[in-house]
Amino acid sequence: MSRKLNILVVDDDAANAESLAELFAMDNHRVIVAYDGEQAIEAFSLNKVDVGFFDVMMPKKNGVDSFMQIKSTNPDARVYFMTGYSADDLIDTAVKGGALGVFSKPVDLGRLLEAVEREAA
Amino acid sequence: MATDPTGGKRLEDPRVLLSILDNLPTSIFVKDEELNFVYSNVLHCEMIGRSEAELLGHSDADFWPPEAARGFLEHDRLVIDSGQVNISEESIPGDNGASKPILTRKARLTGPDGQTYLIGTNTDLAAIKQREDQYKALSETVPVGVMQIEENGRVAFCNPLLHAYCGGDGADEAKLDLIDKIKVTHPDFPGESCKFEIEIAPLGVPRRSVIVISSGWLWIGGAQRSAIVSVVDVSEMTELRRINEEVSRLNRELANNMKRLKEAQDELVTKGRMEQLGQLTATVAHELRNPLGAVRTSAFLLERKIKDKGLGVEAQIERINKGIVRCDNIITQLLDFSRSKQLNCQPGDLDQWLAQVLDEEAKKLPAAVTISCSLGLEGGNVPFDPSRLQRAIVNLISNASEALVGQGDDPAKFATPEPVISISTQRQGEGIAIEVRDNGAGMAPEVLARIREPLFTTKSFGTGLGVPAIEQIALQHGGRLDITSAPGQGAVFTIWLPLTAPSDTEKAA
Repeated sequence: MSRKLNILVVDDDAANAESLAELFAMDNHRVIVAYDGEQAIEAFSLNKVDVGFFDVMMPKKNGVDSFMQIKSTNPDARVYFMTGYSADDLIDTAVKGGALGVFSKPVDLGRLLEAVEREAA
Repeated sequence: MATDPTGGKRLEDPRVLLSILDNLPTSIFVKDEELNFVYSNVLHCEMIGRSEAELLGHSDADFWPPEAARGFLEHDRLVIDSGQVNISEESIPGDNGASKPILTRKARLTGPDGQTYLIGTNTDLAAIKQREDQYKALSETVPVGVMQIEENGRVAFCNPLLHAYCGGDGADEAKLDLIDKIKVTHPDFPGESCKFEIEIAPLGVPRRSVIVISSGWLWIGGAQRSAIVSVVDVSEMTELRRINEEVSRLNRELANNMKRLKEAQDELVTKGRMEQLGQLTATVAHELRNPLGAVRTSAFLLERKIKDKGLGVEAQIERINKGIVRCDNIITQLLDFSRSKQLNCQPGDLDQWLAQVLDEEAKKLPAAVTISCSLGLEGGNVPFDPSRLQRAIVNLISNASEALVGQGDDPAKFATPEPVISISTQRQGEGIAIEVRDNGAGMAPEVLARIREPLFTTKSFGTGLGVPAIEQIALQHGGRLDITSAPGQGAVFTIWLPLTAPSDTEKAA
């Protein structure tokens, strides 16, 4: 039996963020939702986050910049990215900065859940 | 009829002879040794305006002003004394101060009476002088240099314009100099009738292009032949011609530049449009994929929640999921076609990479389709952008698969009972060729002719951007897409990529 995770879902598209949150919650994980990059940083500082699923293009601060900032105080932060189209430069930065992987939107949920399972294992 | 000069028919009657003399068109007079008139025919009387009675027994001194009379008498005396014939121009003073020019021929004559006489004839020069004046005026007003060159080389006449061409007034030396210079290149000048263009540049005179026309040697009065030479200044025409040619050249250059500018402009416009389209598509892709993601997740949640409840909505949920995939594919194709970003080319083992891609893609193909592979690059390094080229390969394979089996769910609609996609790579010229061949129905010529057009599609579900996107990716690599097909012969799509990385300009195309 895999352990229950604290999952942070960050997406400025509320429908996306909330449907994913519901999906993870259905598997009994604890889910925190953030709607922009700054909220993501705050969520990371206030919670013990096991894994994050970050959108890339978001208002205030994009997902990659937030991730890099989180990484600077929390080098072990585990984050996947989800993107509507490949913003090559940002994705490159994220991958080089230690992101676990990139999902193209609309996200292949089978692969997404596999990723969660790996984290929970 | 022959006549005997000593025969009796010779005229001896003085009246007949005098009548003949009176009817000659020549003015004739005779003076005795003292230079008194002893004879004057009618014409002579008319010419000098004196009757025979007034003349006979009188000398010039009796009725001409002293100065004029002295001139006549001096000539007369010279002839009487020397016996030499004298031909000279003289002027007969007129009543109102105007004088009448005449050409006089005087000769000494010894009469049958043993006396010495002076016989003279006068020709009225007024008409000739008038014509001469006309010619002179004419030659001064025509925009042509004119001269008369005698056979001995003397310049008998030269109009002011030719003077000017030769370096000003009284420049006989210069004229001769000019003739000598012309003779260097045209040895037959001026004796042969000729016409030619040369450049002349006498000292102190601007260089000019002239057309020289010579009449050749002609008898024009005088004791020797002369040539009339016209010199037409065509410097302005030559200059005009040069300017004209220059203008023509500049015009051609301008037209050429305009064409290049137009091409560059068109290219910029196309590029600008592609960039705009790229931005627009990127935005649309982002905006559509977010709700698509939410729809997909929600359908997944629904599926889970109603699982095992026997509601029988599996088919509907499947339809939602297929719809999402199709929407996503359309967005992907739009992105493939409109991406104007620079490639990220890195040299790599294309065969090895392609094998992985095909492995991945083969899994997604309908089961009926077989993939056959023959990769023959033997490890050569080719520069390519893996993510972009992958899009091209994926598109090619899915196109081939659709051509073979449609959606793959109805064998009755298969183009062939054994659908095969053959993929091969090989060196070709200064590049490599990736060939994707299907054994489907092939394309009609009219379809083949339009297959590269954006938005052209023969499918009910296509965007018409698949082939244009593949071609775009090949072009961005500095390569090309070749397509061959015929009805019943399947289709072959070949991506050719150069072995050297595309230049920056090609990348940006």
